[in-house]
Amino acid sequence: MSRRLIGAFIALGLSATVSLAQEYPTKEIQGIIQWGAGGSTDTVMRSVTPHAEDVLSGTIVMQNMTGAVGAIALNYVAAAKADGYTLLMGAENPLLYKVMGLGDKDYSEFVPINILARGTPILVANNDAPFDDYAGMLDFIAKNPGELRFGATGPGGLPSVITAMMNTVEGDLDVIAVPYDGDGPALTALQSGAIDVMPAVLGASIESIRAGAIKPIAIFDVKQNEKLPEVPLVTAYNEDYKTYLPWGPFFGVFAPKGTPDAVVAKLSDAYAQAAKSPDFIELMDNRGFTMMGISGAEATEFLSKWQQGTAWLLQDAGLTKASPEDFGIKRP
Amino acid sequence: MDTLLALLTVFTQPQLLVLVGIGTFAGIYIGAIPGLSVTMAVSILISFTFSWDVYPAISLMVGIYMGGVYGGSRTAILLNIPGAPSAIATAMDGYPMAQKGEAGQAIGVTTVMSFFGGLIGILVLAIAAPFVSDFALTFQPRDYMLLAVLGILLVGSLSSGSLVKGIFAGAFGIAIGAVGRDPLTFTERFTFDLQIMEGGISFIAVMIGMFGVSEALLQLQNVTMKAVRQKIDKIVPSFGTIKKYLPLSLQTSTIGVIIGALPGTGGDIAALMAYDHAKRVTKNPQVPFGKGAMEGLVAPETANNAAVGGAFIPMMTLGIPGDAVTAIMIGALFIHGLNPGPMLMVDQPDMFWFIVGALLTANVFMLLFGLTGIRIFTKIVEMPRSIIIPLILLLSIVGAYAVNNSITDVYWMLGFGVFGYFMRHYGYPLGPVILGVILSRLLDDNWRRAIISERGDIGRFFEGVITSPLSLTLFVAVLMIFISQTPLWATVKKRLFRKAES
Repeated sequence: MSRRLIGAFIALGLSATVSLAQEYPTKEIQGIIQWGAGGSTDTVMRSVTPHAEDVLSGTIVMQNMTGAVGAIALNYVAAAKADGYTLLMGAENPLLYKVMGLGDKDYSEFVPINILARGTPILVANNDAPFDDYAGMLDFIAKNPGELRFGATGPGGLPSVITAMMNTVEGDLDVIAVPYDGDGPALTALQSGAIDVMPAVLGASIESIRAGAIKPIAIFDVKQNEKLPEVPLVTAYNEDYKTYLPWGPFFGVFAPKGTPDAVVAKLSDAYAQAAKSPDFIELMDNRGFTMMGISGAEATEFLSKWQQGTAWLLQDAGLTKASPEDFGIKRP
Repeated sequence: MDTLLALLTVFTQPQLLVLVGIGTFAGIYIGAIPGLSVTMAVSILISFTFSWDVYPAISLMVGIYMGGVYGGSRTAILLNIPGAPSAIATAMDGYPMAQKGEAGQAIGVTTVMSFFGGLIGILVLAIAAPFVSDFALTFQPRDYMLLAVLGILLVGSLSSGSLVKGIFAGAFGIAIGAVGRDPLTFTERFTFDLQIMEGGISFIAVMIGMFGVSEALLQLQNVTMKAVRQKIDKIVPSFGTIKKYLPLSLQTSTIGVIIGALPGTGGDIAALMAYDHAKRVTKNPQVPFGKGAMEGLVAPETANNAAVGGAFIPMMTLGIPGDAVTAIMIGALFIHGLNPGPMLMVDQPDMFWFIVGALLTANVFMLLFGLTGIRIFTKIVEMPRSIIIPLILLLSIVGAYAVNNSITDVYWMLGFGVFGYFMRHYGYPLGPVILGVILSRLLDDNWRRAIISERGDIGRFFEGVITSPLSLTLFVAVLMIFISQTPLWATVKKRLFRKAES
């Protein structure tokens, strides 16, 4: 009697594990957004996820978990059960946590579900800045060392990487870096004249450029941008930028490592389909993001390349706390 | 004509009207419960209203925002627990009124004055939005810093007893605000290498603990005492009362709109500054401040509701959020296919007028719902303490957890609750602690930005202060307020007056 009961339990348990992937999701999925409400990552995730929910026919409850430049959210999801019910919705910066001394975990603890899109960096300036193009800006910096104020968003942020790139390509530029809490507040400061130049993501600055509230200097990409075709590429001024470009911040959905393959496949499929929905594409296009929609090995490859390139760029600019070598990040 | 049509969209579509109403109603309760914040409610709504059209979604959010800012005053008056940071000042004179059995009257005045403040905010938004946003943009880091210093000087008016204890409490608050990774360089400060300290201490957890838990603990001492019977015959204030406070409320509404319109400062700072302003300009209050002065209710409540309209000003004209809630609304507009930014007013003026219309409607609903539910609400204070104290504790725990879904925040909240209890016992005011936490980042970040921009040169910094009219005005205001609070000023004033008499 009791033996039969045990047998039944085992059978039940076995069938449960088999059906786990097939029936997934059987309960609410928790989606942890690394950044605050209203930010880029938040907007992107909240607009793509409802489409993914439709494909999964499940519910993904999204929560913003901010703090310590996203490390709190990352650690939370990394420590969660790898069953596909806790997902991380993040941006590019965790790949720099290790070299920046911000944490001991990065996306290597995760399986990428989908790298949704990538942003394009652009250099924008206050309308009253005494130059109108990239060459004029370099000229001004050379003649007025230590006068031009660049906006920054802390170590590892997009402005720090772009500034490091400029320092590497053009030789050290003597400018002041004024730190802000994010590109939103920094772009506000740019309009008010508290800073003169800001390396920003195109999507965050495009509306102000269209309105003529700030002026574009150069786009950091290798291809002319469709949204701003008249703005010159930085490679037009200096070919050496081609070594580092295209480069940009990205958004992605991740599951903790060890999540069953079938569940990962199901989630990847859901987000891949969701990323193809017309209104999401339109939203991303309006904000000047380049769609990527990659997953699996392709995404892993992209992540490790991104990490190698950026970490070493920052290392060579002397901005890191620890060498990428210490974490086995190879020089590209 | 088109403008008028857009403005009246809410009225022509009953569905929108209902949504604004539901939003406002829900907002009042969300605002009243400490920890359930408008910011949180609106960010949940983004996902919830994803598949809706943009107008209904915005209607609901605007309603919640307006109602929520007002709702914070409810628990502040009835239980001495501000439902939201912007209602901290309200508790200082609202709760003493409730203790005297005048809760009904306090809520009545608060409601009407919130309506008035809200109206001023919306009017400024409708008429002078581009002008105000241009003004807000002239604020440089050094001006924000001076504004924060001005705010720190409020410690004087927030400390009822000893000023020294007030200053200690304020400095303690600033230190709490500095814990965690510094947002500019990501360097750890006061973290003692502990992981839980890295993210900093949640300001909401501190507030709920200091006000909610410590109040509950304090009430335990007189758990058997009979509750005060509340007079509820005179809820709606007489026309004479409103007229009497009209000049003051106009001034405090102006403070609210401007502070609200500045990106980086919101209703919480506005309300505290307005309270301080009221204390300064009211020469002979009927009841002293801190004991249930009507002026102490009017000022913060007009200011925080005026700040709502103010926060929309940079959002609508520049695509820059005026506070956390408008930041989320910008995200919502993006999701609904609009591109908030300086071109929104040009490309889609209808959206602007629709939001103005929705705000107006929400403001009216707020007045309506605010004045009708008072009888039931005042019953809360008449409940036996043995029921209400566990309820307060429960709400505090839920609220602290809900902010970041973090159990650590609950521990902080409980810790600060016990600490706050002892602070009260030894006569340390709690208001300045919260003030310090609110202003800590504003002061710290902007001082560093200002001095980094000048290459660390203090001479150049002061040159900037003196050459800019705005900075100079703020600097002089800081000096004047500071000097007027020192004994030196009293002696000088006495001598001057004697001279004038002779």
